[in-house]
Amino acid sequence: MTTKKNSHPSEVAKSAPMKKLERLIAEQPSQKIQMAPTRLHQLTRRDVLLFGAGALAALAGGGFLLPQDTLSRLGVRRDMDPPAKEWFLNKALRIDDDVAEALYSVNRSVPTYTKSQITPLKNNYNGATPGAGYIPGWNLTLDGLASGLSISLDIGNLTTRFSSHEQITRLVCVEGWSAVAWWSGLRFDDLLRAYPPMSQAKWARVESSVNLDASGNPDPYFMSLDLATARHPQTLLATHLNGHPLTVDHGAPLRLLVPVKLGLKNVKAVTRISYAAEEPRDYWAERGYSRYDGI
Amino acid sequence: MIRSTPPDCEPKSTSAVPQRQHVLVVKRHHLLVRWSHWLNVPILLGLVLSGISIYWSSPVYQHKPNPTTGNFDVAADIGIWICAHVPGLHHYSDPPDWIYNHLSLGPGMLALALRLHWLCAYSFMLNGAVYVAGLVLGGGWRSLLPRRTDVLDALKMFRYYIGFPFAKLLRRKWLHPHFNTKYNALQRAAYFSVPVAGCLSVATGWAIHKPMQLHWLAAMFGGYNAARVWHFWLMWLYVLFLVPHLILVVSDGWDTLRSMIVGWSTRVEPRAAIAHDH
Repeated sequence: MTTKKNSHPSEVAKSAPMKKLERLIAEQPSQKIQMAPTRLHQLTRRDVLLFGAGALAALAGGGFLLPQDTLSRLGVRRDMDPPAKEWFLNKALRIDDDVAEALYSVNRSVPTYTKSQITPLKNNYNGATPGAGYIPGWNLTLDGLASGLSISLDIGNLTTRFSSHEQITRLVCVEGWSAVAWWSGLRFDDLLRAYPPMSQAKWARVESSVNLDASGNPDPYFMSLDLATARHPQTLLATHLNGHPLTVDHGAPLRLLVPVKLGLKNVKAVTRISYAAEEPRDYWAERGYSRYDGI
Repeated sequence: MIRSTPPDCEPKSTSAVPQRQHVLVVKRHHLLVRWSHWLNVPILLGLVLSGISIYWSSPVYQHKPNPTTGNFDVAADIGIWICAHVPGLHHYSDPPDWIYNHLSLGPGMLALALRLHWLCAYSFMLNGAVYVAGLVLGGGWRSLLPRRTDVLDALKMFRYYIGFPFAKLLRRKWLHPHFNTKYNALQRAAYFSVPVAGCLSVATGWAIHKPMQLHWLAAMFGGYNAARVWHFWLMWLYVLFLVPHLILVVSDGWDTLRSMIVGWSTRVEPRAAIAHDH
């Protein structure tokens, strides 16, 4: 489609907006500036000194924030562990928790999977796995209720009173691994409706008194859960895994399954749920992890 | 003070001011670009070191546990191999941890590594915004855009860099390819890809940090587990970039380094004027 002599067809084909765009993105020649050599020398000295100060500040910041274990490997000894460091790192953690809380919505479901996508789920009990001896005497105690009472329910009460829901969801561990598993159990929300917490309650403390430490001594596990998350339709008090009643490895007879939180919030063998107005203590938050753990 | 004069009005030798009292400079990098460039050093170092500490708690690359040692981590295998084959390391106390002791904050400190990783990750995102602002304010973004001729030109540059040490050894003339842009095609490809990789690192980071609320993001990278693999290999891309980046800035000399600290460069003519024709 040559229309003019001596003009390349592609040039003609170019539309006006295309040329405008090309002009916009074309590299512009940098402006040459005359400068007295002493002036350039001064500017260079000033900025290089500033740069050096910045590098020293970065080194000091690293020495301040890094753990002694890491510094020791570099041959550095820091004799103090400033409280400001904990405050600073916790601040970063809180910001991240606030972001996670802002991202959460009770109406947003987590992805569900098909049975063919189920993967093995390892027993990641923190410490030793308790013996099955606790199961016959097991009860779930509810505290901090609107009625002011303390309620005790056995597994029969829970499974006959509440309808069972099932879901195939991913459990994500803070360590990075994850597993897709088929869970069934009652909705935490149904329990909250049947036994309403006191009106000012915003939190649940979910506890297992049967947990053990690595050497097999009692090490009760407790964890904070905001009620907004407890009310999520996919937050279950699970009784079954992959179609079978929970084994001891996976928290028989009842475990919390909260797929919008990290695995460490999914308490196994729950023995007590206490509702509270103030944020309860949290086992892993006391060990330097986040407290909200929304994923 | 700084006088700005268009090139065609440069004072001639007949001018009152003798020419040797002036030096011609060009502004290479905007202040915000320079700041964010250097801030990336501690931030990326923090991200890599804490990232490998996090990796330790659940390695992406695993195999069936070794029946005698129980080891399942490929990174531990590499540490064991290094300690067995590198002279002077035969008596290293903990070969499986060699990688984690040398390339991370250390093994067994997940909580702390996570806290540092979040701190650095938020800093990295803020710093990225500062970098983009600097590119826009200084107009530097135009020099980073890929061009149609880049593939061929990048190959020419690659050939130049590869041949350069041999040419030096053989004392043969080895000419720098022509170009009349701020960066050569290979530089442009690198300086364009690294910010893109930065965006991908942030995106995969969010995908594995919030795999439920942002599950669509994880799905874009092939799901949660695949997003972890992406995130891991994107880190090695920075390491891969860093090696030639450091070699080239050192071999290119002080003017290049100064332009990233002070902003000015005395190389006012494009490379074409320096190199001779083939």
